[in-house]
Parts: sequence; structure tokens; C-alpha cells
Amino acid sequence: MTTMAIPLPRTKAPIARLLRSELRMMLRRPRTLVGLGLLAAVPVIAGIAIRIAADGDGPVGEGLSTLVAGNGLMLPIFSLLAALTMLLPLVGATLAADALAGESTNGTLRSLLVAPVSRPRLLAIKAFGIATVTLLACLLMAATGTITGIILLGGDGMLTVSATRLPFADGLGRVLLTALLVAVQIWGVAAVGLAVSAWTDHPLIVLSVALGLLIVSGVLSAIPALDWLDPVLITSGWESIGEVARDPLPWPTLTEGVLRAGCYILIGYSVALSRMLTRDG
Amino acid sequence: MDRKRTALGIAAAGTATGVVGLVLLATPAGAGETPPALPETTPEALVQSVLDADVPALAGTVELTNDLGLPIPGVPSSDGHMARVFTDGEGRFRLALEGERSGERTIVGDGATTWVWDSKDRSVLRFEGMEHGVTPQDGLADPATASRELVELMRKDSTITIDGTARVADRPVYQLVLTPKPTERTLLREVRVSVDEATRLPLRLEVLANGQAEPALSVGFSDFDTGAQDPALFRFTPPAGATVTDGAQGSKHVEGNALLEDLDLEVVGEGWDTVLVGKVPTQIMSTPVPSENGDETDPMALLSQFGSEVTGEFGTGYAITTKVGTALVTTDGRVALGAVPQQVLAEALATK
Repeated sequence: MTTMAIPLPRTKAPIARLLRSELRMMLRRPRTLVGLGLLAAVPVIAGIAIRIAADGDGPVGEGLSTLVAGNGLMLPIFSLLAALTMLLPLVGATLAADALAGESTNGTLRSLLVAPVSRPRLLAIKAFGIATVTLLACLLMAATGTITGIILLGGDGMLTVSATRLPFADGLGRVLLTALLVAVQIWGVAAVGLAVSAWTDHPLIVLSVALGLLIVSGVLSAIPALDWLDPVLITSGWESIGEVARDPLPWPTLTEGVLRAGCYILIGYSVALSRMLTRDG
Repeated sequence: MDRKRTALGIAAAGTATGVVGLVLLATPAGAGETPPALPETTPEALVQSVLDADVPALAGTVELTNDLGLPIPGVPSSDGHMARVFTDGEGRFRLALEGERSGERTIVGDGATTWVWDSKDRSVLRFEGMEHGVTPQDGLADPATASRELVELMRKDSTITIDGTARVADRPVYQLVLTPKPTERTLLREVRVSVDEATRLPLRLEVLANGQAEPALSVGFSDFDTGAQDPALFRFTPPAGATVTDGAQGSKHVEGNALLEDLDLEVVGEGWDTVLVGKVPTQIMSTPVPSENGDETDPMALLSQFGSEVTGEFGTGYAITTKVGTALVTTDGRVALGAVPQQVLAEALATK
């Protein structure tokens, strides 16, 4: 009697478990938690400041901020837009830097590359982790903003910039829409970060390239002679996300921003993929 | 390694798609398209149909490009999205003008009352009737009305031709071109009005100066859809907490260029060489202007920096010349401006 050695089929780890473990790992990192906590505090601080300013004399500010006083549901929108200029891109870029370059610096990327997970799949898991945590950050801000707004600033439904009053549920819908639109823009930044992350072993390079891109975009958009370049710049649709506060919603403007971010996501992800495939194990 | 090659191919295709997508976003709509074939018409018939056309129920977005290089009364100086227009075809309208940093000025005419809302200070102005509250600046936000008034005003002094067809806001249009008659002394080369084939509404207005390929001013729809609109758009309820003022009493609606309103401008001449003549209030002439480095400058000293000194029958003054127009300010505070050479301004000042 001989025992036949049955060759073990090459096991593929179930994708759901991989995604879950990646998320768990990201959310257990103290820096992720601190970052999320600080972001969640932004609407609270803004709410308190606007409450104090609204009790005093004189205008609260300009643009959307003038509509936040006594109009609680506008607070999360205002805070998300404020965080979109620097804080949220910083979070997206940090996560992207950690995902590949960070692992590489720690020496843990090597073991990931030889694990029984194909490289496209590994990248997909990493991208999923980044996307989920950034979305979580936006939703968290929306949540603390909404709660702070209702408690501190009150308001019946939402007063739009166009002087119409939306019922509470519709107002909440606008808040969620803002969180989604902001998250998509951050995904664009994070995708560029991921591409750089795949090419380098130094997380700091990822951070500087991603934030440098934002700063350069801002500078280029301020030069009138380069106006033709505007539709391509990653930051150009960001200010128009504030249009969610208009009534009726200007969909063409909003979808253009999503399309632009989509292009950046596609480019960033594809570049990261090609590097992952050609990289030595 | 076939799978790897496939995956690499996908990555390359993804990068290419993304880049193409960005290029498409940057390409202006309608660029490079062949002009649509439209039934032949004569310039006179086209102008008449434009003047006779009724405004249907519509929703549109208006964009503005301003390359004038000189503040002109009633023309906003900023580029980009400007307004969203809604009408119900029976005279009711909503005009949403974009303000600074996502602010908005909304003008609603509900048939009996005109409401002007400003999100900046949450104020509402109320006007009885439908004729008030719309400043010239707001009027330009509706290219259809603005161009119609312009065509009516200029047709006597212009040669009117049709220069083929084009697409504006993805709709086929006739290109109506108004060229100044040879007797007109103006810096402008032509005014192009793009007339929608179906509704006969002007969808775009472009002003071109001599020797310029790009329009100095372009106002037009970037989106234009006819069809019934939500009636709620044409109702207005002042929101709680807003200050409502009766428009007839307050003069606060004089938005934007208060200085130009103070000039008390009068029209001299007609047609293309129309000149606006006014007088700068003496308190403005003697008020020092704070400059960037914190010092205060005398307004006249400032003018002498920007303009060139001219003398003539009218006295001494400073002329500021741009591609499309000239402004002349005399030392005793008289002002003349128009889309004309400097000499015409000097004559207008002399006749006043």
C-alpha cells in the first residue's frame, strides 16, 4: 500500500477575507485612527466657531459660510469643502504612501509579493483599502458635521444658496452627495499617490509628489495665459463641488468633476498596475 | 506569462483611456465638427424672425468670456459660468447668478413680483411688477434678450449678413454677423449672433475687435433645453431670517460697479460710434486711492500711470486704450468711453 501524495491545489485566498484583513490592518494603525479622529473634529470646531461668530455682529464670512449660521445641515458641506483643500488630500496621499512604498520600506512588501495572491489582486486590495478609508473619513466628517450642525446651529431642513428650503431628508441627501463627490476627488489624488508609491521605496516621495501636484495645479490655474489647461488640472473641479448647495442641482458641473477624477484614477491605477507587474519579487 | 502580458496590456490601455478622457474634457464642445446643413434664409428674414420669436419654456446655463480689458458699464469682468436661466414661456423666470465662492444671487419673477435674493447677506429685495430689479449686468446673463436688443439697436448702422451655420450648446445655429457700415468710426470689427434654428432665439453673442482673432466678449448658452419647467422654480418665498426690503425704497440693488453708476453717463451719438459721457463726482476725484503698498495715491496720479496724456479742445486728460474701446478722463473730471478711437471721444467731449 502506498499512500499517494495528493498534490494540494494552489490555494487562492478568498478575496473577501483579504479585503477584510487589509481594512482591519489599516484601521488598527494608530496614525489612521488619529487622522480620522482629527478629521472628525474639524466640523465640530468649525461649528463652534461659526456659532460664536453668528452671535456677534457682522457677517460670518463669505461664500457658503454665510449660509451656515442657523442652517445646521450646511455645516458638513462647508467643512468637507474646507477639508478638501488640504487635509483630505493629505490623508489620501498618506494612505497611498503607506500602501506600497511604506510596506517596501518596512521590508514587508517582499513577503506580500511572494504570497499566494496575484499582483493585480494585491494592488486591487491595496486600492480598495485606501478607497474605503478615505470614503470613511468623508462620511465621518459628514456625520459629525451633521450632528454638530443640528445641535449647535439648528435650522429647519436646509436653506440652499438659491433661497429654497429643502426638507431634512433631501438636505441629508445633499450632505451625502457632497461626501461622495469629495471622496471621489480624494480617490483621484490617492490614485496618483499609488502610482508613485509603486515606483518608489520612500513614502515621503509619494507625499511630496501628491501634494506637489495639488500645489502646481493651483498655481497653473491662477495663470490666465494657461486657461486652456484648466479642464485637465486635478484641482479645477474642487471649488464647484460647493454647487451642491444650489437648487436645482447643476448636474453637468458636478459630473464633469467626477469624470475628471475618474480619468486620474484610471491613469494612476494603471501606472501602479504596470509597475507592480514588472517589479522584481 | 500570458496573463502578465494581458494585465500589462490592460494597464497600458487604462493609462491611454485616462489621458484621452482628460483631453476630451479639455476640448471645447463642437470643435472640429462640420457645420450643420440648415435651410437657406436671407439676413432680413432671419433678423425679423429673431425679433418676432417668443421665448419658450427653457432651462439653460450661460457662460461668459470677457477679454475687454476695460470695465464697461453693465458687463461683469469675470469669466466662466455666469448664470442659470429658467423660463416657463409665459413671462415667469428664474435667473441664478453665480457669486463669489459658491454664493448666489437669484432673481425670480413670479408673474406679479420680482424677487432679488443675495446669499451673501441673506437679503431679499421685493419689486412690484416684472420690470424692476434686473440691472444691466443681470440682463446680460440672458444672451437671448441682450442680443435681441442689440440687433434692434444696431441694425440701422450695420451691414447684416449670414456667415454659415455652427453649433452652440449642441444646437444648430445660423451665424448672423453685424458689421459696422464704412461711415462708422469704431474699434470693433463685427458682432456675431448665433441664432437657434428651431426657436430663433440668439444663443450666443460675440463681439470681435479689429485685428483680434478671438472674441473680446462672448456670452452664450453652454446648455440649452426647451421644455416645461418645474413650476416651483418660478415661486419665491423669502426664507426665514432673511431681511426683506421693498425695492422701490432701497437703492441697494445697484450692485457691483457703484462708481460707474455715480458717473451719471449720457449717450452721445448712435450706432457703433456711440460714446458715453459723464462726470466723475468731485469727492471721488479728490479721495486718495489706497495702493497695494499701503500708501495713498491721488486718483489723477494713478490715471497718469495707466493712461497716456492727451490735450485737445476739451482740455487735458488721460486716455486708456484697449483692444475694444477707449476711455478718456479729463483733469476736470469729465469721462468719455466707447468702442471708438480716441479722437471720437475727444469730439464727443468737445460737443458736450
